Amino acid sequence: MVQLVGSLRKELADSISTCKVLVVGAGGIGCELLKNLVLTGFKNIEVIDLDTIDVSNLNRQFLFQKKHVGKSKAQVAKESALQFCPSANITAYHDSIMNPEYNVEFFRKFMLVMNALDNRAARNHVNRMCLAADIPLIESGTAGYLGQVTVIKKGMTECYECQPKPAQKTFPGCTIRNTPSEPIHCIVWAKYLFNQLFGEEDADQEVSPDTADPEAAWNPEETAARATASDKDGDIKRVSTKEWARSTGYDSVKLFNKLFKDDIMYLLTMDKLWKKRKAPTPLDWHQLENSECPKEGTPASGLKDQQVLDVWGYCQLFQHSVETLRSQLQEKGEGAELVWDKDDPPAMDFVTAAANLRMHIFSMNMKSRFDVKSMAGNIIPAIATTNAVIAGLIVLEGLKILSGELESCRTIFLNKCPNLRKKLLVPCVLDPPSANCYVCASKPEVTVKLNVHKTMVLTLQDKIVKERFGMVAPDVQIEDGKGTILISSEEGETEGNNNKFLSDFGIRNGSRLQADDFLQDYTLLINVLHDLERDVEFEVVGEAPDKAPPPQTNQEEVNSITNGNKDSAQPSTSSKGQHRSGHDLTSHSCYISAKRLSSVSEVELSSR
Amino acid sequence: MIEKEDPVISEEEAAQYDRQIRLWGLDAQKRLRGSRVLLAGLGGLGAEVAKNLILAGVKGLTLLDHEQVSEESCRAQFLVPVTAQGQNRAKASLERAQNLNPMVKVHADPDRIEDKPDDFFLQFDAVCLTGCSRDLMIRVDQLCSKHNIKVFCGDVYGYYGYMFCNLGQAHNYVEEKPKVVKPSGESNDGPKAKKAKVDPNETTMVKKTASFCTLKEALAVDWTSEKAKAGLKRTPVDYFLLQVLLKFRTDKGRDPDPQSFPEDSQLLRQIRDDVLESLSLNSDLLNDDFISYCFSEMSPVCAVVGGVLGQEVVKRLTVFSR
Repeated sequence: MVQLVGSLRKELADSISTCKVLVVGAGGIGCELLKNLVLTGFKNIEVIDLDTIDVSNLNRQFLFQKKHVGKSKAQVAKESALQFCPSANITAYHDSIMNPEYNVEFFRKFMLVMNALDNRAARNHVNRMCLAADIPLIESGTAGYLGQVTVIKKGMTECYECQPKPAQKTFPGCTIRNTPSEPIHCIVWAKYLFNQLFGEEDADQEVSPDTADPEAAWNPEETAARATASDKDGDIKRVSTKEWARSTGYDSVKLFNKLFKDDIMYLLTMDKLWKKRKAPTPLDWHQLENSECPKEGTPASGLKDQQVLDVWGYCQLFQHSVETLRSQLQEKGEGAELVWDKDDPPAMDFVTAAANLRMHIFSMNMKSRFDVKSMAGNIIPAIATTNAVIAGLIVLEGLKILSGELESCRTIFLNKCPNLRKKLLVPCVLDPPSANCYVCASKPEVTVKLNVHKTMVLTLQDKIVKERFGMVAPDVQIEDGKGTILISSEEGETEGNNNKFLSDFGIRNGSRLQADDFLQDYTLLINVLHDLERDVEFEVVGEAPDKAPPPQTNQEEVNSITNGNKDSAQPSTSSKGQHRSGHDLTSHSCYISAKRLSSVSEVELSSR
Repeated sequence: MIEKEDPVISEEEAAQYDRQIRLWGLDAQKRLRGSRVLLAGLGGLGAEVAKNLILAGVKGLTLLDHEQVSEESCRAQFLVPVTAQGQNRAKASLERAQNLNPMVKVHADPDRIEDKPDDFFLQFDAVCLTGCSRDLMIRVDQLCSKHNIKVFCGDVYGYYGYMFCNLGQAHNYVEEKPKVVKPSGESNDGPKAKKAKVDPNETTMVKKTASFCTLKEALAVDWTSEKAKAGLKRTPVDYFLLQVLLKFRTDKGRDPDPQSFPEDSQLLRQIRDDVLESLSLNSDLLNDDFISYCFSEMSPVCAVVGGVLGQEVVKRLTVFSR
């Protein structure tokens, strides 16, 4: 005779109440997930999140209230969940899951790990830890109305990194510095500018005109014009932007004139750039100040942030934010650096102003602070209901796993609207591991194209092994018969190698490097292909380019949308529907709608 | 019944609703801000819908439930404190519901929904019924759709659940569709004309009209007709399961209870046979498997159904309506 405990068979209810599970992330999905786990009868839950609560979380992270703003998400989530189930045993960690403390031993404590993350780096890391510990992982993501859930089990399914994910979108330096054509280019420029002036200066985030632009085909007869522009600010190239700004005392008008007048005039001298493009028009502070006509303030209906100011308005915003940021910098003292944060008003004001001024210069319609914030802050719109549905699906997949029914696990996509088959939720059978996966294959291997004479060891470490291949604390040695150590995860041991080039160590075409991450229990063999022609620093030699049938493209789209706001450089949109037809297999929970649309007529109204 | 004066969104609301305003727009948020909703039933599904609507930022939500908090209810939903046994379920849920979003007026009503007069329902823009009997739902559905009040129903039975909505015979709404931007000289967002692309910021508003059937019609399909028989294969078997469970609820005045598993299983089997026979359908259309999976309200299922239902309510409240 079947015995029930609530909705569940007794055997399942028993294993749920005794097993230990880990929830990585206590945000949108995490809060809903924690609630579902507790109400379903899970008694031993550990939750980890490095973040603190922000007011913009409150529309969906329902375990938090206004009074909790600023506190640890994991901690408050635990306290709120205990309110409706005091007998649950919840451990909260206000920490990063990538901390070496959370090693394979830590992961092995759990029967199940569930991700509720918002960035790819952490997902890659947890993927590897779960592979190393051989623990099933439920991966998920949401963006706007869309969401998905999938199950990862070593040896049985694809791991998170089996399918190449579209790389973060980046823009070429000359587009940012010389020839922006879209608002996003100006916004990225403004963020770089913030770092150059107030934050950590980065050689990859130059804002001044790029004379090495291949399109410019520099004309030596124009040197006089260049010299004029240079003299005004003491040679653009030798003095760092920050040093120059400091020398002027962060004078906002001087800054304004350099960035929006002098540098633009400099760009104009590179006339080849403007043969087929509309040339930028420089701004002059005093001209704008004098020609400003005071308008009767029409009380704006709608949000203040959604208003688009006029040029003088952004000039004033620029001035005001520079002054505020200057004070912030002074307060922090000698050698201080600010970190850009979309929720820090003057930082956001600065980017809004600078980006808009640049947009205006390059004949683009200016954008409201609201829109700039979306793009600059990589904000992905989010609501409670999508997260609620996805978190419910996570638990349902979890129950299958705990019942020993891994074959019935599915990848499930949540659509915005029912698809052609009238399905809102589309389950798809899980794929087996990819034989070529550079993470979960038995002896993972990749081939990287780069220039051995121009690639520094530091670049190999940071851009390739860490950023591209997701290692957190790598050790890299050369397979040269001597096992020469190139990079050591021990701090300080190989710092001396950082600025040397790979060729200095005898690395050349065909060389092999062995990269290890001890924490992730992961070894990757890297084959080096020396390539002279390099527009980009390096390139991973992937599979054949024609391997991209339409259904997979959709999945990649969804993956890239739902990977999280920390990753995309692009403005985020979430209105893409999916048309992936999957099997009509459903788990036991079904949904019927007796709604019938019997007549639908469409009439086009005027466009917005 | 959306208020005539344009509700203003304060800066405080703008900060809290930021991430959703970026999804459905300021106008939609304003319309939500002017909507009053009735939610009947504060079981597992009801609590989920309440949470979703309160977080979305409706003007007011009335929680209507005459049931008392039992030991089971404390396990089933997260709004009722563990110490509230014996209290009215709506009243016990009020404090936590209100704390989800102080900007929404949440009200608890302990009355039986059956005892409510017709005009009680007319003060709302939308009515959402959970845990209600078939007859009550049909009555309310008929009454509300006559008065252009949006009706939503839903329930969760173990691993199963459903939702229904009725927006009337002539529901006018406007849908946003991405606009394809054709190249025609200089475009506004850049100095150089680009090839045709879908600009996510440029949309066309498309006016649509839809006609919904009533709950009565939806539940009273004649399966002996040729048309229905043809549609039978495409009809999820859960539709018939719903008929069985609604009949159980009418006959027993409650849903299948794990405490009475043997008797209730027996009754479910019997009702299944009766229902299928009365519909002139084959008895093996719905086999016995469902029986052990339809008890109590499973939390993750409440979350899924509550999320879909909640979003449907939000969507319909925010469409342009005259």
